[in-house]
Amino acid sequence: MEVIGQAFLELLSPQVLLIMLGAGVYGLTMGAIPGLSASMAVALVIPIAFFLDPVPALAGVVTLAAMAIFAGDLPGALLRIPGTPASAAYVDDSYLMVRRGQGGLALGLCVICSAIGGVVGALVLMGAAPAIARIALQFSSYEKFWLACLGLTAAVAVSGGKWYKGGISLMLGLAIAQVGLDPVSGQMRLTFGSRELVGGLAFIPVLIGMFAIPEVLRYALAPREIAPPPIQALGNLLAGVGSTLRRLKGDLVQGSAVGVVIGAIPGAGADIAAYISYAISKRFSKVGDQYGKGVPDALVAPTTSNNAAVGGAMIPATVFGIPGDSLTAIIIGVFFLKGLNPGPTIFIENPLLINTVFMAFLIANILMVPLGLFATSVFQRMIRVPRYMLMPAVLAFCIIGAFAVENTHFAIVTMLVLGLVAFVMEKHQYPLAPAILGLVLGPMLEETFLNSLIRARGNIFAFVERPLSMGLAALTLVICVAPVAMFVWRKARGARSA
Amino acid sequence: MKHLSLLRTSVVIAAGLVAMPAIAQQWPERPITLIAPAGAGGGTDATARLLALGLEQQLGQPVNVVNQGQGGGVVGFTSITTAEPDGYTLGVIYNFAHYSPMGQGDFDAADMTPIGQFNFDPAGFHVRADSEWTNITEALDAIKADPGAYDIACGGGCGGSWPLAFASLLDAYDVDLSQVRMITGQGAAAALQEMVAGGFDVVPSSVPEAGSLIEAGLVRGLAVFGSERLAAFPDIPTLEEETGMVLELGAWRGLVGPAGLPEDVTAKLVAALEAVYNDPEFQSAMTDRGFGLRWRDAEDFGAFMAEEEVSVRELVRVLGL
Repeated sequence: MEVIGQAFLELLSPQVLLIMLGAGVYGLTMGAIPGLSASMAVALVIPIAFFLDPVPALAGVVTLAAMAIFAGDLPGALLRIPGTPASAAYVDDSYLMVRRGQGGLALGLCVICSAIGGVVGALVLMGAAPAIARIALQFSSYEKFWLACLGLTAAVAVSGGKWYKGGISLMLGLAIAQVGLDPVSGQMRLTFGSRELVGGLAFIPVLIGMFAIPEVLRYALAPREIAPPPIQALGNLLAGVGSTLRRLKGDLVQGSAVGVVIGAIPGAGADIAAYISYAISKRFSKVGDQYGKGVPDALVAPTTSNNAAVGGAMIPATVFGIPGDSLTAIIIGVFFLKGLNPGPTIFIENPLLINTVFMAFLIANILMVPLGLFATSVFQRMIRVPRYMLMPAVLAFCIIGAFAVENTHFAIVTMLVLGLVAFVMEKHQYPLAPAILGLVLGPMLEETFLNSLIRARGNIFAFVERPLSMGLAALTLVICVAPVAMFVWRKARGARSA
Repeated sequence: MKHLSLLRTSVVIAAGLVAMPAIAQQWPERPITLIAPAGAGGGTDATARLLALGLEQQLGQPVNVVNQGQGGGVVGFTSITTAEPDGYTLGVIYNFAHYSPMGQGDFDAADMTPIGQFNFDPAGFHVRADSEWTNITEALDAIKADPGAYDIACGGGCGGSWPLAFASLLDAYDVDLSQVRMITGQGAAAALQEMVAGGFDVVPSSVPEAGSLIEAGLVRGLAVFGSERLAAFPDIPTLEEETGMVLELGAWRGLVGPAGLPEDVTAKLVAALEAVYNDPEFQSAMTDRGFGLRWRDAEDFGAFMAEEEVSVRELVRVLGL
C-alpha cells in the first residue's frame, strides 16, 4: 500500500501531468482518425519517449494507449467508420443512434463505459496480475481453438435479419481471411499469382472500406441532405447515461470481466473481447432482437469490454513479457527502453516504477471522462458539416487511412474494392458484421485448429482432453444447442397446452 | 502530430510516384525512406527506428521508417529490391534467404546493395522447466534417436531465423531432418507461452525473448548458439562449451539498398552507418532493449549473405518446407 501512495506522488509533478495530458490529446486524435491505429500512435512516439525520463515516458505511453482505443468509438458513431477494429462490433448501433438524434446518449455511454472498463482493467492489473497471468499462461492452442469457436457464435448476434444471409456474410469474411500465405504451411492461397496478394487483404483497409465506402456511394447515387441532429451540450451528453447504466449494471460487470479475461489471453485482443461481450449481452437482453438497429443496450457491454481488455493484455505482458496483442508489444518495447524489464521479478526489483505505471494507467482512464467528453463535443460538429462536403472528406480520409496503415498503394485498391462489395451486400440486405467477425477470427481458428491437429497426430479427441479445453468446448456447445432445445421445448409445451 | 503523420504519408506517396533519376551529387537532398519488412512494434521495427534516429543525425535529412510486414515480410523485401536505386529508399533487412526457395518471393542477395550489418542475436534452445533434459547433449541425443517424437515450435513461419538455426544445429548433429516435426505459430512469444501450457517440447528463439519466463522459473535455456555466453544470461552455456560444435546461428539485421546503388551514395551510407554503430548512445539503446551488437562492413556483409543463401537453400530442401 505504501508503494502505491509513493507511486501516486511520483505522478504529481507538473511535467508528468503535462505529458500525460499531451499524450491523451494525441491519442484521442490518432485513435479518432480511421486507419491510424493505437499501435501506430504509440510506435510514432517512441523516438520522443527515448529522450524523456522513465516515469513521464511510461506514463505518457499508457495514457496514449488507453485514449486511442476509446477514440476509435468516435468516427464509428459519427461516420460509421470504426476508428480501431475493437470498435467494429457495435458500430451500427452507435451510428444509427446518432442518426436518430440519440447521439448524446450513444457517445456519453461510449465515454463512461470505456472509462469504467479501463478502470476495472487497471485495478485488476494492480491487484491480481501475477495470479491471473498464471491462468492465462495455461491456454494452449486447443483452448484458443474453442475460444475462436465461441467467438464465431457471436455471428448470430451481430447478423440480424435472415439467418442464411448472415451465414453467407460470415463465409465471405472467412474466405477473405484465407487470401495470402497459409499460416501453417506457408503456401500461397487465392493470390492468383499476384505479388500484392501474398500478404493477404489487410484488415484495416477492408474494415474502412466495408463500413465507410457504402455510405459515400449511397450518398453519391442519391444526394440528399439529412437534417443534422442537434449538437448535444456537454451536460446533455451525460443526461440519459446514469439511468441507462443503472438499468444495465449486469452488462457493465459482464463487459469488464470478459474484457479483462480475454485481453489477458495472448492472441485474443480487444476486438475479440468486444464481439464476445456483444454476443453475450444480446443473448440475455430483453431487446435482443433490436441489437444492430441502434439501441443503447447494445453498446454498454462491448465498449466496456474493449477498454478492459487493454488492462487485461498488460497482465501477461508485464508478468511474463508476453504481449497479448500488437499494441501491448509496442508498449513493452518502451518498457525495455526505459530499463523496466518485464518479468515476474518486476514487482520485487522495481516496485515503485511498475506501480507508478499502473497508477498512471488508472489515472489515464479517469482522465478519459473529461478529455473524452471534450473530444466528443468537438467531433459532434463534424456531422453538422453539409453532406456534400463531408462525404468527399470521408473518402479522402479512407484513402489516407488505408495507405497510412499499410504503406502500400494496393491497400487503397483493397479498401475501394471491398467497399464496392459491401455496398452491393447492403443493397441486398446482407449484414456486414458477420463478414468482419469472420475476418477477425478466421486466421486464429484455422491456425489453432491445424496446429492442434498436427500436434495431436490427427487425434481429434485431443481437443477435449484437457480440463480447460473440455470446459470451453462444453460452453460452446451449450451456446449452440440451447436456443434449439429451448425452441423445441417451447413448441412441445405449446402443443400440449393447445 | 496529426499533421506530422499526414506529411509523412505525403512524402511517401511523393517518393513512390516521382521516378527520380539517380542524381547523387548532393545526395541526400530530400528525406529518405527506410523500409522495415516487419510490423510496428517488433524487433526489426525497433532497430530500424533506432537506426533512423542515428542516420538522421549523420545525413542531415529526415529518415522515415515505413513498416511493410505483410506476407511475413515478403512485401517489404519486394519494395526494397524493386525500388529506384537512388539512395532515397533503403531497407533494414534480416534473414531472408528462405523466401525464394519456399516460393514466397523472388528476390535474393544479388538484388541488394549491402551497406553493413549492425546486429546479431544468437538463437537459444528453450525447454519447459520440468523437461527431462538437463543439458543440450541429452536433448540432441533424444531427438536424434526419435526425431518424430517431439514438437518443435517455429515461432513464426518455419523458414524463419530461429527454426532454421535450430535445423542447422540438428543437421550438424546428423539428425534425420525429414522426420522432425516443426510447427508454425504467431511468433516466439506466443510459442513460449504455448510451450509453458504444454504444447511444445522445444522453442528455439532469442534468449531475451524467453528471459522473463526463464526468470519466472517456467522455462530453461539449455544453450546459446553464439561464440560466447550472453552478459545478461551468464548461466546459459554456449553450444561449443557443451558439444564442442563451433556454430554461430541466429538472427541478424543489416542495412541495404536496392541493387545498383551509385558508388558515392554507397560510400556515404557506409560511413554514416559505421558512425551510428560506433555511437555509444546507439550501442546502449540496442543493448538496453536486448539486441546484440555485431559489425560487418559492406564487403563482409555481402559475402555473408551470399554464403547464407547457399546453406539455407539446402536446408529448406531437406526439411521439405
